[in-house]
Amino acid sequence: MVRRLSGWFAGGAVLAAMPWLVGAAFPGQQRYILHILVFTGLFGALALSYDLVVGHVGSLSLAHPAFFGIGAYAAALLATQAGWPFLAGLGAASVCAGLAALLIGVPAFRLAEHSFAIGTLGFASVTHIVATNWVEFTHGPLCVTGIPRPEVAVGALRLKLTTVQHYYWLALVTIGLTALLYHGLTTFRLGRAFNAVRDNESLASAAGIDPLRYRMLAFVIGAALAGGIGALYAHYITVLCPEELTVALTVNLLVILFIGGVGSLRGVVVGAVLFTALPEILRVAPTWRLVIYGALLLAIVIKWPEGLDAALRRAARRPQGSA
Amino acid sequence: MALFEIRGLVKRFLGVTAVDGVDLTVERGELVSLIGPNGSGKTTLFNCVTGYLPVDDGRILFRGGDVTGAPPHRIARLGVGRTFQLVSVFPRLTVLENLLVFLQQHQEESFLGRLLRTARIRRLESQALDRARSLLELVKLAHHADALAGQLSYGQRKLLAFAAALMPAPELILLDEPTAAVNPTMINQMKEHIVGLHRQGKTVLLVEHNMDVVMDISQRVVVLDHGQKIAEGPPEAIRRDPRVIEAYFGR
Repeated sequence: MVRRLSGWFAGGAVLAAMPWLVGAAFPGQQRYILHILVFTGLFGALALSYDLVVGHVGSLSLAHPAFFGIGAYAAALLATQAGWPFLAGLGAASVCAGLAALLIGVPAFRLAEHSFAIGTLGFASVTHIVATNWVEFTHGPLCVTGIPRPEVAVGALRLKLTTVQHYYWLALVTIGLTALLYHGLTTFRLGRAFNAVRDNESLASAAGIDPLRYRMLAFVIGAALAGGIGALYAHYITVLCPEELTVALTVNLLVILFIGGVGSLRGVVVGAVLFTALPEILRVAPTWRLVIYGALLLAIVIKWPEGLDAALRRAARRPQGSA
Repeated sequence: MALFEIRGLVKRFLGVTAVDGVDLTVERGELVSLIGPNGSGKTTLFNCVTGYLPVDDGRILFRGGDVTGAPPHRIARLGVGRTFQLVSVFPRLTVLENLLVFLQQHQEESFLGRLLRTARIRRLESQALDRARSLLELVKLAHHADALAGQLSYGQRKLLAFAAALMPAPELILLDEPTAAVNPTMINQMKEHIVGLHRQGKTVLLVEHNMDVVMDISQRVVVLDHGQKIAEGPPEAIRRDPRVIEAYFGR
């Protein structure tokens, strides 16, 4: 127990000190590397929020980028058009995305399995089309520009997150809190009920679980988290365009989930680190970048079809088994 | 007042009447078997009374309250347990978790309490753990407690599903062919478990094809054929009933 705690503590310290470590190791590229780590943190958190739905109640929703986008647009427009402070905008982004999930979930969950996936994909497409074409409201392809970097006032303490270092710490806190919430939701009694619905819906009903209620709960919580992460993303990149919420994002999230390991906290985090950092590392070989990326993806899927988490777990068990 | 009562139950599938006006009463503490040739509507009747299928006509009463049209999870929480004909467990939960999940919904339903794991919830969880462990002892699966349920053999999964249905101590338990496709040793084991339930005063409604089991343990037997009740009575009388013999063997 003590060893585990100290392990967590040491890991946390290394992550918190990352800006200086990176600065010492790669003096010229500190900003670039931290930028990638910010993306890793935000996309890791987004992937975790997505896995609540895909990995734990077993509903293949393709609407997740839409909730991310709704949150991003809500925060961007409230900050630039209405002058809302950062935290209020963040809350509003979560609420908007959560409400959207509630509204779309009621009809979508009447559809079974594959129809549900297609129904949610339809919703994601509509969201993208609205963001592109409702020019008066979203600025369409002209994008929402001049989104301010966040500023938080807690009592007398005023924090302005202007540098990429600051944002790195914000992304770290974001994925940390998301992981904590993910853990709380997916273990113990709640996790058991979610997973029961995923494994066998009829039997879950016989156990007294209302499958629709639990599916909806995971869907709405996942969407609200995605909305909040979308808001953080918008404040980071400061320019928000409709292209941010295309199907490409869904594909990335699905790759992270299924390569890392659906339904596993560690698997999703490993997947997020690997598949946000990897395309950047491969820039050393620009011509072959996408070929290597694709080949690696294929190799992992063939070698470890259940995801990297299952492979890690097997590797950890093997020494004990042979002893 | 009977514990469980079905009045004039009708269920049609695209013009085929699968259950055709069946009346059935089960008194508290009774062990009643429902038999009939394949396709006579036994499982359909089970699915109707546990909320899995909407009914076309008739009423279902449990403890005097009307539960017709209620969703399965609500009927389950009122105290009606059931098992499924095709063996049914949560494959990616452990054996122990398979049992725990069957009790927790009966204990509380507060989202925040569960997320924050309050002292009350932890106490309920440890009670559930005790009960789960004793049921695992009963069905001799205690040494598999931490295995994933999907890794168990067919017979073991059948026992696990049976134990899970008992977790919330339901007043009425509906068993859909508990001895189908298991070996003779396990048939005897299952038979003893059912008799044990009956001795504890539980009310059992059993759908079963194995006539030895039915004739051996039932107090009363109800026979369905083509969705209609054709006979009802003690096992000895049913064995000699010409209508039953005709339904099973033809004229």
